[in-house]
Amino acid sequence: MSRFLDPSVLAGLSGLDLVARTVVDGFVAGLHRSADFGFSQEFAEYRAYAPGDDLRHVDWNVFARTERMYLKRYQGETNSLLTLLLDASNSMQFASHAVSKLNYARYMAAAISYLAIRKQRDAAGLLVFDDCVREFIRPSTRPGQLQRLLAGLELAEPRARTRFDLPMQHLLALLRRRGIIIVFSDFYETAESVIRAIEPLRFRGNEVVLFHILDPGEVAPEVGAGALLVDLETGARIEVTGDFAASEYRRRIAAHIEALREGARRAGMSYQLLVTDRPLDAALREYLAIRQGRP
Amino acid sequence: MGFLAPAFLFGAVAVAVPLYLHLLRRSASRPQPFSSLMFFELRQQQVAQRRRLRHWLLLALRLAIIALLALAFAQPYFDRAIAGMVPAKRLLVAIDDSFSMRAAGRLEAAKRGALTLLDSRRAVDRAQILSSGGQVHILTPPTRDSRALRAAVEGIAATDTRGSFATLARAVAALASGEHAPVELHFFSDMQKSAMPQVMAETALGPNVTLVLHAVGAAAPNWAVESVNVPSQVWDPRTARVQAVIAGYDTPAATRTVSFSIGGKTIATRRVEVPASGRAQVGIDSLPLPYGFSRGTVTIDGADELRADDEYRFSIERVERQRGLFVHQAADTRSGVYFSAAVNAAAGNPVALDDIATDRLANVDPGQYAFVVICDVASLPPTFVARLNAYVSRGGSVLVAVGTAAAQLRSLPFSAVSILGVHPYSREPERFASVGTADRALPVSGALEEWEGVRFYYAATLDERGAHVGLRLQDGTPLLLEKPSGEGRVMLFASGFDNLTNDLPLHPVFVAFVERLARYLSGGNPESSSRRVDDLLQLRNAQETGIGVEITDPSGRRALSLQASASDRTYPLERAGFYEVHLANGRHDLVAVNPDRRESDLTPLSAEALALWRGGSRAPVPAGAASVVAETGVMHASLWWYAMLVLLIAALAESFVGAGHLGTLRDEP
Repeated sequence: MSRFLDPSVLAGLSGLDLVARTVVDGFVAGLHRSADFGFSQEFAEYRAYAPGDDLRHVDWNVFARTERMYLKRYQGETNSLLTLLLDASNSMQFASHAVSKLNYARYMAAAISYLAIRKQRDAAGLLVFDDCVREFIRPSTRPGQLQRLLAGLELAEPRARTRFDLPMQHLLALLRRRGIIIVFSDFYETAESVIRAIEPLRFRGNEVVLFHILDPGEVAPEVGAGALLVDLETGARIEVTGDFAASEYRRRIAAHIEALREGARRAGMSYQLLVTDRPLDAALREYLAIRQGRP
Repeated sequence: MGFLAPAFLFGAVAVAVPLYLHLLRRSASRPQPFSSLMFFELRQQQVAQRRRLRHWLLLALRLAIIALLALAFAQPYFDRAIAGMVPAKRLLVAIDDSFSMRAAGRLEAAKRGALTLLDSRRAVDRAQILSSGGQVHILTPPTRDSRALRAAVEGIAATDTRGSFATLARAVAALASGEHAPVELHFFSDMQKSAMPQVMAETALGPNVTLVLHAVGAAAPNWAVESVNVPSQVWDPRTARVQAVIAGYDTPAATRTVSFSIGGKTIATRRVEVPASGRAQVGIDSLPLPYGFSRGTVTIDGADELRADDEYRFSIERVERQRGLFVHQAADTRSGVYFSAAVNAAAGNPVALDDIATDRLANVDPGQYAFVVICDVASLPPTFVARLNAYVSRGGSVLVAVGTAAAQLRSLPFSAVSILGVHPYSREPERFASVGTADRALPVSGALEEWEGVRFYYAATLDERGAHVGLRLQDGTPLLLEKPSGEGRVMLFASGFDNLTNDLPLHPVFVAFVERLARYLSGGNPESSSRRVDDLLQLRNAQETGIGVEITDPSGRRALSLQASASDRTYPLERAGFYEVHLANGRHDLVAVNPDRRESDLTPLSAEALALWRGGSRAPVPAGAASVVAETGVMHASLWWYAMLVLLIAALAESFVGAGHLGTLRDEP
């Protein structure tokens, strides 16, 4: 079943729901019921009630004895609010093979949404942004939420250029509860500005995961002896030589990745580099690891 | 600056190739979309600019390589004047060895001048020795070997040929055409006026040749035996008349003593008054000749510088008076009269003609005659025909005149020649026909002009297949044909000698024609045996290949190798003297060869003509013999190897720059 996690195979499937189901089912079947990533309803801990928590999870027995409201938490339910942030700027449409970065991000987002809503019973939402917020679907567990999320993902066409500050400020105003925030982007800004823009989400107690999506053609571009490159976001043109692309560029993109990774670590965020020719299970594992409270 | 091969400059258009590759092909590359250029900014632009600069550098190097290649092939040079230093050059030292250089002291002066020039030349200069007369002989290759050069000069001897500056110019132009170094032609000559061609353009030497003339000798009075008129064959020595013309060139009026010798023995001496720079004729009326060939000379007491032209050689052959048979019909009394009269009128004609009618031929043997003329005979006795056939097959000669009577036959009785028809021109609108063409290859034919005015009223049409046609009428009808038969020859005349079928007997050409016929048919030489040096002696015709020819030159040696004696068709007569010749047709001959008497005129070219020949040469004219001309200080400095050096550097630089471009394709480890 692992081949269904191959992005190039998924690209042949029609509909994000089918993609999500295929990915998750294949992924779950490959877990062999691992103890680390089980989906049982075993008790895990009590957590103090916070406004916005679902009252259905309040342990009324404890409230009766102590007059304090605690939420009874089970494994797999320690975080229940998932917000997916999808960068839909023009740079995300770059593809050096069958799957563009945006499609890879869509597959990931759809799969995680499916996993969260159908398997974990989590509330999941979606925010599509470029240099502003283009679409926001509030996290919810209502019936039809998964379809709304998938429709939102389908409609997320690449446009404009990336900005993190404005969308993040907007999201801060929209989010009222802590949860898991997953950002799918190629992060074509300096690592400092990216971390600076996203860091406030972490301050609100959210678990923030940065999925850095890059095309293999961006990690190791092949331009032959030289090429004229056109920036997908700005339209700027530049003549690039093969030796620079093979040496200096690689060094600089690696430094950028490392800066993002280090900045995310320092900010208490998770960082995962996803190259679009790799299977999607790495992202799912990352999500589940966070879902279980493990970095 | 100039180019020795400017056509190669067109190769520079090949620069379009790298231009196309660098500019057009590069600009044709399509833009490639990329996510973000944030990691390519600034520094990458600088790198790209540097790369572009390297592209331009590579392009410039490649353009330079092609341009330099074309430049090097074009062999650029520039004229450079270096004080006290003259570039290496090629000296062509030509010495005139024509007949006039036999004049006292001239050749020796020329050789001394040449040796002095060779001694004074610089060690870097290559020299080459030529001798120039009727032909140019290259005696040495271009060399710096002084001993070889001196030996070549000292070995030059005067010849009997006539000088020709045009021949020298052509040879020098050919030698200089492939020479890159400056060529300097030093010509040591008496600058004889007669050696200059009529058209000065024929003496052009080529653009890179500087002509330096070294005149030896000067104008001098000279007497010479200009020509001798003597028959080649005589049968009666008492009628052998010898006429000599004594000419004076730039001479005062003087009395000269003329000696006539036969076989080295002086037989007569005459004194003749030669006017100033004029000519006088002197002769004798009889020669005491033995039978066979005799070597004769006419000599004057020249008392001038050029003694070699004071003697004129001639050859003469005393033969038995031969008999010819003239056969005609009994009723035809006119032809024999005309023909016999013509034979008798020919000067010195050694033929006695027997005039016999056909009814008296029964006991006549053609073998007793040198030739047989059958004039318009319709029938012959069979016994005579049989003898005639045997006579021809053994080498006898027969002339058949086909008049109105003979034309009644379908073919001639003793040969395979068919009579195809007759042309009665008198019944046609033109009334007569004239001779249209004359082939001089058949000696009997003579010149066409001789036949002018001769009218032919009647002619037979003879089958000309396998025959050599000497004369044709205007309508193409063959008039005079020769057809070999066995060892002998049969000549056919398509008309008669009766003054009825034509008016030939009334014209002067008839006597000359009959004389040539008689000589030719009797095996005599119709031409004089006196020739000039540089003439070509014909040894055989096209049908006589493979037959040996022998020539004994004036020094008594065989002049031809075995191969040449079997194949050569001509022999150049390069020396004066007597040549004994055994030709392919079996004839023996003694050929007297004399130098061209134009060499006797020692008048040199005028200063204007010499200046005109030198053209734009900056070299001064030496005064007198053994002068050496100062060298000019201008040299062609060749630049081609500098171009090749720069080309090499550009190629190396292009390799390094190009290798840098190739390096961009390497991935980093």
